[in-house]
Amino acid sequence: MFVLSLNSTKLAANIKGNSKEFLKTLKKPNLYVSTQPMKVLFVEDEPVLLEEMETYFSSLDCICEQACTFRQAEQKLRDYMYDVVVLDITLPDGSGIDLITDIRKSHIETGILILSAKDSLQDKLKGLNLGADDYLTKPFYLEELNARVNAIYRRKTLKGEEQITFDQFTMEPLSKSLFFDSKEVCLTRKEYDMLIYFVLNKNRVVSKASIVEHLWGDHFDQNDNFDTVYVHLMNLRKKLSSTSGKDYIKTVYGMGYKFTF
Amino acid sequence: MRLLSKLSYYYFWLSVFVLGITGVMLFLFLRHEVSKEIEEQLELQTDMVAEEIRMGRNVNFPLVQITAGDVQLMKLPKVFKDTLLYDRLQKESEGYYYFAESKKINSGYYRIKVMTTYIGWNNYSRTIIYIFICIAVMLIILGTLVNYFISSRIWKPFLINLKRMKGYSVSSREELELARTDVKEFQEMNFVLADLAARGRREYNALKEFTENASHEIQTPLSILRTRLESISQLPVNDDLARLLNDAKQAVLRLNKVNKGLLLLAKLENDAFTDKQSILMDEVLRRNFELMEDLFQTKALKVTQAIQQKEVFVSSSLMEILISNLLSNALSYCPAQGTVSISLNPESLEIGNDGPPLTFEESKLFTRFGKGAPGLSGNGLGLSIVKQICISYQWTIAYRYAENRHFFKISF
Repeated sequence: MFVLSLNSTKLAANIKGNSKEFLKTLKKPNLYVSTQPMKVLFVEDEPVLLEEMETYFSSLDCICEQACTFRQAEQKLRDYMYDVVVLDITLPDGSGIDLITDIRKSHIETGILILSAKDSLQDKLKGLNLGADDYLTKPFYLEELNARVNAIYRRKTLKGEEQITFDQFTMEPLSKSLFFDSKEVCLTRKEYDMLIYFVLNKNRVVSKASIVEHLWGDHFDQNDNFDTVYVHLMNLRKKLSSTSGKDYIKTVYGMGYKFTF
Repeated sequence: MRLLSKLSYYYFWLSVFVLGITGVMLFLFLRHEVSKEIEEQLELQTDMVAEEIRMGRNVNFPLVQITAGDVQLMKLPKVFKDTLLYDRLQKESEGYYYFAESKKINSGYYRIKVMTTYIGWNNYSRTIIYIFICIAVMLIILGTLVNYFISSRIWKPFLINLKRMKGYSVSSREELELARTDVKEFQEMNFVLADLAARGRREYNALKEFTENASHEIQTPLSILRTRLESISQLPVNDDLARLLNDAKQAVLRLNKVNKGLLLLAKLENDAFTDKQSILMDEVLRRNFELMEDLFQTKALKVTQAIQQKEVFVSSSLMEILISNLLSNALSYCPAQGTVSISLNPESLEIGNDGPPLTFEESKLFTRFGKGAPGLSGNGLGLSIVKQICISYQWTIAYRYAENRHFFKISF
């Protein structure tokens, strides 16, 4: 069972205390469950990417909206409020960069993630200076996009106070620590990063390459890193199963790993 | 051959030709004039001798011969010729002119022959040749000097422009500025050069834009490929399909890396990284190593570090790329249980790793796609990116192989 809660520690303790009963009330485990689901606007002119992003984020119970032109995006941003906007810079009728200032003027809370085909430093600096929260270069992994969007959402909308819980585990993103029934489970930095990546992308086959890029960035040659991913994964798996007696991480032959609970 | 030497060369032969002809002419004219003068002088002398005889004085003069005779003498013509006389003092025969004329003086007939020595024409011609050689040498030396000074004035704009053209690159952001000149030919050349430079730059920019656009345009289809492949991975697949999918994903990954690397190289060559700032290289090195430490551990590599503080003024993103590429290179090519050494001091950064010798030429090490062994994970751009970064900061990178270890050393 899996809950991301925005409430204070008091409520979190409450959930933890009665977790089984509380969770039964939820029909579906929901990553973005809080008082209300996360609302995301995808501004992207490539229909396949829009479709992919919407399919994936909808499966995580987010409310997704699409805009494939500058004009459409402008309209939607004027009419509704979003928690996070995923913004492509090159649009057929304008530059996504220009939308940033508009968003910032009207909704200070809205998180902005720039999604660009241009791996250009100038664009990146300009975007971040104008008030974007993060920058992701194409081609990207949906899992990485989800992790970044989630980080923005937690930081901006949930003010960083929430915890991420699954079963009896609680993750505290601020201190990057993991608790099992309020007892700390010691994880290395990489193990924690890996776990949060899995948890946020639960029930999805996550490829090794995607994990490598999440843990080390994309500067490195991949093949050397696969062994290390395996080492971290085995350690993490061991730590989780020795505390809870349950194996969360499944190896999907030839494809990657899948985190389920 | 330099223009100046070439001009002097032709000038030399022209001088030799002109001076040769004028020398010969001078010699001939001189000889003609001198002979005429001597003839006149000798004729006058003859007349004066005749006058003496007429006055009844006895003429006894060396080099004057007077023969008295009858009327038959008058039939002999006037003669002006040269002859040889023995010089007792010099003990050699010398050339003399003699002039002979028959005259009737006081009803007597005389044949008067006067002689005078002449300066040897050998000496004349030698002297003339010396003088002319002198003239020729002076003309060439002075001519060259004059040319030199003229060239420093007239050719100045030409030479300045030549230098500017040498330093000009279509990729530089500065316009080509040519020195003005009032020489028509140079003006024309300047015009052509400026036009050529402008066209070159235009085409270069177009190509640059094309490369960047092409790279960017590739990113979106790559995104589609990647997300679609990942979506297929979510479906239940059998082992065969998993293998096929995996290969396709690997190819997308490689394509992405190559594309990004090429884009980075293009930007580096354009000097597009202007975010220079003061950076502590040792910190970047430590941070990157920390991030990769687990990768080194997995391969059971021993890492020796000797890191001193070093401050550089560079683009932070390029610094990250430089360091991570070098570390990644050492990690990839160091065999398991080997040793990697990292040393940084104010003069240089050196990263070494164990490994068998290169199987290809050392010169290919830094070239694009220059890797030797196929199947290695590298994309063939890492070291050429490192080299390009070093070039743009005027650092030198050197490779050496010693004691079964590869070393890359960057000297600041």
